[in-house]
Amino acid sequence: MPRKPNKIVVERRLFESEARPHLDALYSAAVRLTRSQVDAEDLVQDTLVRAYRFYDRFEAGTNFKAWLLRIQMNTFVNRYRRATRERQVFEGPMAVPVGEGVMSRATMRALTDPVGDAQRRLIAQEITRAFDELSEEARAMVLLADVEELSYKEIAEVMGCPIGTVMSRLHRARKQLQASLQQHARQLGIIDADDDDTEDPVSLEAFRSRKAVKS
Amino acid sequence: MSCKLVRRHLGAYVDGELDPATQIEFERHLEACSGCQEHLAFERSFRQQTRDSIGGLEAPEHLWRRTLHRLDEIDDAKKQTSLIEIRPMRWRQTGLIAAAAAALLIVGGVVGLPDRTDYQGAGMLQDVVDLHSKALPSDVEAEAPQEVVRYFQGKTPFPVKPAQFEEPSVKFVGARYIKVGTHPAAALYYNHGGRRVTLLVFQSPELVQSAHRTQVAGRELYYHDVGGNVVTIRQHGGVNYAFFGDLDRPVLFQLAANARVAY
Repeated sequence: MPRKPNKIVVERRLFESEARPHLDALYSAAVRLTRSQVDAEDLVQDTLVRAYRFYDRFEAGTNFKAWLLRIQMNTFVNRYRRATRERQVFEGPMAVPVGEGVMSRATMRALTDPVGDAQRRLIAQEITRAFDELSEEARAMVLLADVEELSYKEIAEVMGCPIGTVMSRLHRARKQLQASLQQHARQLGIIDADDDDTEDPVSLEAFRSRKAVKS
Repeated sequence: MSCKLVRRHLGAYVDGELDPATQIEFERHLEACSGCQEHLAFERSFRQQTRDSIGGLEAPEHLWRRTLHRLDEIDDAKKQTSLIEIRPMRWRQTGLIAAAAAALLIVGGVVGLPDRTDYQGAGMLQDVVDLHSKALPSDVEAEAPQEVVRYFQGKTPFPVKPAQFEEPSVKFVGARYIKVGTHPAAALYYNHGGRRVTLLVFQSPELVQSAHRTQVAGRELYYHDVGGNVVTIRQHGGVNYAFFGDLDRPVLFQLAANARVAY
């Protein structure tokens, strides 16, 4: 049924004014998800087209950015995932080990207060690298929680999983990120390699052998 | 509260996701424990550094413009007036599909293969009947017609709207995407006094070529006699509307003739 042109114009203006402020966030997340600027642009465009089509389903008063990110995540999973399969090795047994004491105190101190801009830049680079090595799911978790600052409830809706699952996945993702960062930071000498001040260290070997025993 | 517990859930604490009682316990512990304070400082700082490192990319200038063009296309499609809502997915090429739709009506239960030389047509009719018999579940429940329209966008090469029946006893139940042979189709499910009526919408203009013709309620209907049952086709063009259900033949004829398949 044809709609009244006025209604279309009003809806369109409203959508544009609501969506435009989130363009950078969508693009940012899309680049991190697809690891490609070209794919990211397509993903964002498809996301916004879908959002516009489903605009009347958006519940006024809820988080519009979270809603857009949910559409983007679904679109990504459905359409772009195949292209990024090659990184799945990081989701398997080779994934960075997780442990409570994965970050030593000295590392923690070095990373809490980086000294100087050069150090900061280096750490930022290393965080990006470590992030790119995470699994798709872990990347999504870190993006939604730490970058976009969505609530667990909103993340649960975006990812289509229970809140409890969000908590454990997010915890795991952050620990993976930190562990990977710590390894490289040591190699690069950003942090002290002679770092015995660990509270309860979990070495790679210990973690793997423990895992092996379990399975 | 142990340090281990606090550190394990420090992330949730920083995220403000702990319940208020636990939150207070955490605060109390943190006030007194310098080790955990250090962890907290790190947690906060690392959060910030993560945000600074991987967030904050700016979308290229042309991306928004590109997107607006796509939205224009959707708006154009919304504005277009079309008697029977037949539009190909490339919304601007509306002229490509001729304005005609066929309604296919099958009365009765099991239907044999129709006696036709055109196997593809016969196979298609069989598919239509099978799809009704299987009673597959709906993908989209009876919602506002717009919901159904959206559901089929991108699935079928033509827009789909649930047909409206004159008879108030016919209730729309739900819909799903399906295939008739190789043709993408919309299956729309109705209920008429406790009996299922299925309406299949798909493109196959040749399906009426060897059909009989009749007039019901001033509406031109095509039909195939198929092993004691009947297949009725209401033709408007490239898209077929196919109704069938376990109803008496005159009742279904009436339903099909009076249905608003195009509005």
